[in-house]
Amino acid sequence: MTNANTDVGVAMTNDSRPGEADERLAYRGLGQRMLIRPEIVGMMASVLLFMFFWGVTRPFGNAGGAATVLDVSATLGIMAVAVGVLMIGGEFDLSSGAMTGAMAIVIVLLVKDTGDLGGAGITYWIAIPISLLVALGIGWLNGTMVERTALPSFIVTLATFFVLRGLKLAGSKIMVDQIQVGRADEGPHYDFWQNIFGSTWIRGDHVWEGRDAAYTVLCLLGAVIVVAAVYQLSFARRPSLNSAGVVLLGLGVVGIAGGVVLTHVLDGTDWLPMLVIAAGGFASVYGLGAWRFSLVVDRGNAALPVDVTRPLMKAAGYVSAAVVAALVFDSADDTNIVPFVTEQGLRAILFMVLLALGATQLVVAATRSTKVSVAARSLVIGIASVTTLLLALFVQSESTSHKFRAELFTQMCVVALLLGCYALASYFFETRTAEDPDADSGARRLAVIGGLLVLAGIVVRMLFAVQAEIDAEDPSRLAAFSIRIVWFLGFAAVMTYVLKATPWGGWVYAVGGNKEAARQIGVPAARTKTQLFMLVAAAAWLVGILLAFRLNTIQAGTGNGLEFEYIIAAVVGGTLLTGGYGTALGAAIGAVIMAMAKQGISFAGWNTDWRFVFIGSILLIAVYANGAVRKVAEAAR
Amino acid sequence: MSHLLELTDIAKYYGNINALEGVTTTVEAGEVTCVLGDNGAGKSTFIKILAGVHKHNAGTMKVEGVEVDFDSPRDALGRGIATVYQDLAMVSLMSVWRNFWLGQEPRKGRGIFTRIDEAPAKAIAKEELAQMGIDIRDVEQPVGTLSGGERQSVAIARAVHFGAKVLILDEPTSALGVKQSGVVLKYILAARDRGLGVIFITHNPHHAYPVGDRFMILNRGKSLGNFAKSELPRDELVKMMAGGAELDQLTHELESAGGG
Repeated sequence: MTNANTDVGVAMTNDSRPGEADERLAYRGLGQRMLIRPEIVGMMASVLLFMFFWGVTRPFGNAGGAATVLDVSATLGIMAVAVGVLMIGGEFDLSSGAMTGAMAIVIVLLVKDTGDLGGAGITYWIAIPISLLVALGIGWLNGTMVERTALPSFIVTLATFFVLRGLKLAGSKIMVDQIQVGRADEGPHYDFWQNIFGSTWIRGDHVWEGRDAAYTVLCLLGAVIVVAAVYQLSFARRPSLNSAGVVLLGLGVVGIAGGVVLTHVLDGTDWLPMLVIAAGGFASVYGLGAWRFSLVVDRGNAALPVDVTRPLMKAAGYVSAAVVAALVFDSADDTNIVPFVTEQGLRAILFMVLLALGATQLVVAATRSTKVSVAARSLVIGIASVTTLLLALFVQSESTSHKFRAELFTQMCVVALLLGCYALASYFFETRTAEDPDADSGARRLAVIGGLLVLAGIVVRMLFAVQAEIDAEDPSRLAAFSIRIVWFLGFAAVMTYVLKATPWGGWVYAVGGNKEAARQIGVPAARTKTQLFMLVAAAAWLVGILLAFRLNTIQAGTGNGLEFEYIIAAVVGGTLLTGGYGTALGAAIGAVIMAMAKQGISFAGWNTDWRFVFIGSILLIAVYANGAVRKVAEAAR
Repeated sequence: MSHLLELTDIAKYYGNINALEGVTTTVEAGEVTCVLGDNGAGKSTFIKILAGVHKHNAGTMKVEGVEVDFDSPRDALGRGIATVYQDLAMVSLMSVWRNFWLGQEPRKGRGIFTRIDEAPAKAIAKEELAQMGIDIRDVEQPVGTLSGGERQSVAIARAVHFGAKVLILDEPTSALGVKQSGVVLKYILAARDRGLGVIFITHNPHHAYPVGDRFMILNRGKSLGNFAKSELPRDELVKMMAGGAELDQLTHELESAGGG
């Protein structure tokens, strides 16, 4: 927009016709629209945390580490999603932790043959539905008490927590004369239900030589579709399509595919395939843009003002410091030079933290350059791309381990390539400055499809081994993916859908935002809240079964005290303690973050007692960051 | 001829506090009745009685000539009295059309497959907003991205669509800037032109005067009287609102704020 246009906009508002420029919302770019998502901080934090532990531990990033982290995430995550949804509805459930253990005990007692005391060894086919009814009953009781007494749910469920805690102890003692009950595997029809709630998938048992090809194809295809979505969201569409662009796009894609094939033929990090891929990438970037989007008319001046060059200088400082740190410290020295941290660990941490600081400054520079001119923005993003590429080469030449030499190098090259493509595309094509609902909904669909394809590629790579890994006795062949991960991901997906697409989902947000006002416009508020408590109870039932099939013998104290971890996971994922705001996906991400922190500390060989310090710090930082980002996103309106 | 809404000597006591006493007014279809009063004048008690949140202790309330005594907000809604509160009962993360239908979603599918029937829901929301003269290009955008005035307008359009005969607006302009207030005032007139009786509650006479057909002024729980626009010049209204020594300063403030 030029200044002249802005003046017209102001003049129109003085006429104050309905819906003219000043009443209409300002257009939000892609970045701003992403910032307003509740789970954005959680997503960024999980990526950073992953990169951190990937750098300092061995198992992170291979299938074994993924299996362990997801396994720890699963039970925590199922509860965090349910508790998160309850918190969106404006309530707490402090009995949720104790309830998981209670449900496990109920199931084991039901299937156990306790002689004359009643637990007659009922088949799992009946015990499982009965225990669900018990859980729903407890949830109903929680909800009804909160509704009828109008007491805070904090108090009501705190009472339920103590009651359950007492019942678990006293009940176990009465029924089996112990403070633990076992064994789940002696119940009738255990084997059938063990498949559903307790089975595991051992990676080494599933060999598939086509795995890497499938992984590459899925990821590339997904990446291309995601890039197309970013185009749709970022650039202004041209009135009619340009067929010359399609041809160029096709040639580019062929080039990329050829490059990938060359990589496999030439085995690894050769220059030629990289060049072919880069050339194909740039050709397809320009082709895709020329096909569907308008060309920039005025690129402006590439001269950078001080407020852009200053963060650029800072970024240069951080990056140089990172390089110096990597050169000074010895990568082979694994003695502790400060408590808990080896020299090679410190080197990795320093390198990554300094790079992250540099990246932050680059983002600041890029954001500011957007306001200067098209040329300036492309210049800054181009600088970021080249810096990443140089760093990738540095990493490759300086590292001794395969993880850094090959994996990190490739990933940094991909990032450099994407940045370069974006610099190029935004130099040639007109950035969109107006709403375009059709383009947006199409882009959303593309982004989801592309993301799912990439995810499928990663899943394939994690689940299957190749014969070479088994012959080399690669430790990741032993990775055991538990079926509880499927329950966790499935539950999170279902709740995300329910919140988004069903009437009930909307009511949850409404009663959490303002119960009285929601009731006013016809939302059955009391019923919705009671159902929320029953949802948490049902989740506790599911986790209880998973625990019973995993632990076999359940301690009376199982689950006690975990309720705060569920709440923390939901809050880290962007749920507001005051209700009415948050997502199920966010809570699931929060649970993965907590699991990564716990497992990362143990993989790194640090004393695992530190995990509590870690979780506390994460909670504080995440809540602060969530608030700050929300403020920025809303102020930018 | 019966009035759309008729209140006679309404009173409300909380313990020994007389929150409202001897309030009498009428609301006609296609007219805007403004209820003015300073903080603590009894405006919110007045709204809550009309909306069915609280019961009045004395006096009579008639809707279209029939005496009513609301037990719940649902009762009031059933009689066609819709209230748009200051916080609007909007979910900022949800799209405009989802908020429009909140609590009354059209559905398809059965049992656990029940979901919102999206296509008609979006089309109707868009159409209804357009009829009110509200131009929101994309009904998919989250309500959190709308300005305060636009949110008010969505809430008003929602109440109109769901068959409100009487529309109670609780201080719709109090949190808004001058321009945005102007937009909301226009939607009040749009609702009036569609034949609704509008009760516009405010403490700002400069917002009330241009849109109001009649005015009731509350002061410390009592009514200072009902006036038609013709019998009440603007200055008089401002004077009654403020009263006594504060008057000069207040008018000065209001004028410098550019109200009206």
